[in-house]
Amino acid sequence: MLVAKPDCALLILGHGSTENPDSSQPSWDHADTIEKSGQFGSVHCAFWKEEPSFRQIWPMIEEREIYIVPNFISEGYFTRQVLPRELEIDGHTTVRDGRTIHYCDPVGIHSAMTGLLIKRAKEIIDDSVKLEDTTLIIVGHGTNLNKKSTEAITDQVEAIKASGEPFAQVLDAYMEEPPFIADWQTLTDSPNVVVVPFFIADALHSYQDIPVLLGIETEPTAAASQRDVFRQNPHRFGDRTLYYSSAIGTDPSLADVIVDQVSYFDEHYRS
Amino acid sequence: MTLAGELESHLPAGTSLVFGQLYLTRSDDGTFEACHLDDMGKKDSLSPIDSVIDLRELAKFDAGGEYRPLKTAPSLKGGWITRSSESPEFLKRLDAIYPAVFATWIAYANEEHHPTSLRRTLDRQTGMYRFAGTISDQLANRMMRELCHPGCIRKIAWPIDDMHPVSRLKAQPRAIPVICTEACTFAINAARALAKEAFEKANPPAATGATE
Ligand code: SF4
Repeated sequence: MLVAKPDCALLILGHGSTENPDSSQPSWDHADTIEKSGQFGSVHCAFWKEEPSFRQIWPMIEEREIYIVPNFISEGYFTRQVLPRELEIDGHTTVRDGRTIHYCDPVGIHSAMTGLLIKRAKEIIDDSVKLEDTTLIIVGHGTNLNKKSTEAITDQVEAIKASGEPFAQVLDAYMEEPPFIADWQTLTDSPNVVVVPFFIADALHSYQDIPVLLGIETEPTAAASQRDVFRQNPHRFGDRTLYYSSAIGTDPSLADVIVDQVSYFDEHYRS
Repeated sequence: MTLAGELESHLPAGTSLVFGQLYLTRSDDGTFEACHLDDMGKKDSLSPIDSVIDLRELAKFDAGGEYRPLKTAPSLKGGWITRSSESPEFLKRLDAIYPAVFATWIAYANEEHHPTSLRRTLDRQTGMYRFAGTISDQLANRMMRELCHPGCIRKIAWPIDDMHPVSRLKAQPRAIPVICTEACTFAINAARALAKEAFEKANPPAATGATE
């Protein structure tokens, strides 16, 4: 969806990393795409672990009305506690220092994510592969610390099943809790399996840890930007074929979802 | 005034400025130019970089290929030059190298942006960083000496606590100050590590009766 808000700024929030140079890249890429589209007066990014930080960003933004979209996969500790605290905002709209600040929902919970996961899965399997012979696995981190991110994945799995796409099965699996992604061969019985990580960036998990758990790498390897772990599809395991996608957050269509969250805000939270 | 306007008035045509590890100049025809301070004498041999995206990429790694998560680490690569005739575009390019640093100085100088004391930053932390708040003043000073002083070109504008304010930073002639108005993620991390170390030293496992 297109919006026309030349008097407003858009601020995209990411986690960032002090160790991994790829972590913030999707947020910058989406910001650049949206900036070029000219829908906002200005587009900015800020990060928890990189610069500009959440605390440094305010002097950079000159517009008086600001939409904030967390580029996070789910609601939870970060979107409910850390981000509002660091940005000194409260509730959907905060008015302070002459600014009106709208806090949108995180990208990962937008309904458009379902279509994006399906699109991503279809893109990476070969044209000749039938969906009826293919299981789609959405993989997440999964720990007790982050119940909400597990919930975000099970919600997506249900939505994909309800979409009527004829996948043999649609499953959720996790790195650190059952059903374990490492057990993909026993969790599924279709000839083809396509795995899409429900992560924002190709950070350590999606380019190092998951490939090892899937059995397509024997040990963690170099940074994704220096490797082509995602371009070696398909992987053969006896009579099974495995396709592995990069993190869903790297899909260029995420830029649209960020803007969609602004529209959603206007329709649902704006008084 | 807009930030781009501030940049124009700080750097009128025919002048130059030092900004961190950058040397900024504006030619007589108004074109803005930035290169590494070490490269100011050899501009003709530098490779032009003409986009924000490419400058962001340049600032991501040091000359040895190591990732630079702290953009004000004193390890900015040289060998390049960037030029723009538009101040808003030039400001974006500076922000690709030093995100928010120019805007922070302007807001601080105009008294619109106030430093946050270290205590307030640490007291706000939750989860595993909450422990950082137990750091002593002495260790906080050590943290600044060991982390900020060698590893970062920013000048600290925040006090350790609000009871002991620090004097306001001033711009040197022909320079835009690179200031720190609040302890960064590295400082919070270092504070946590030092506080933990001190706690463990004072409470060895035997003394606390490790029953868990
Ligand atoms: S606290 Fe400020 S001065 Fe110290 S390293 Fe971080 S940014 Fe630099």
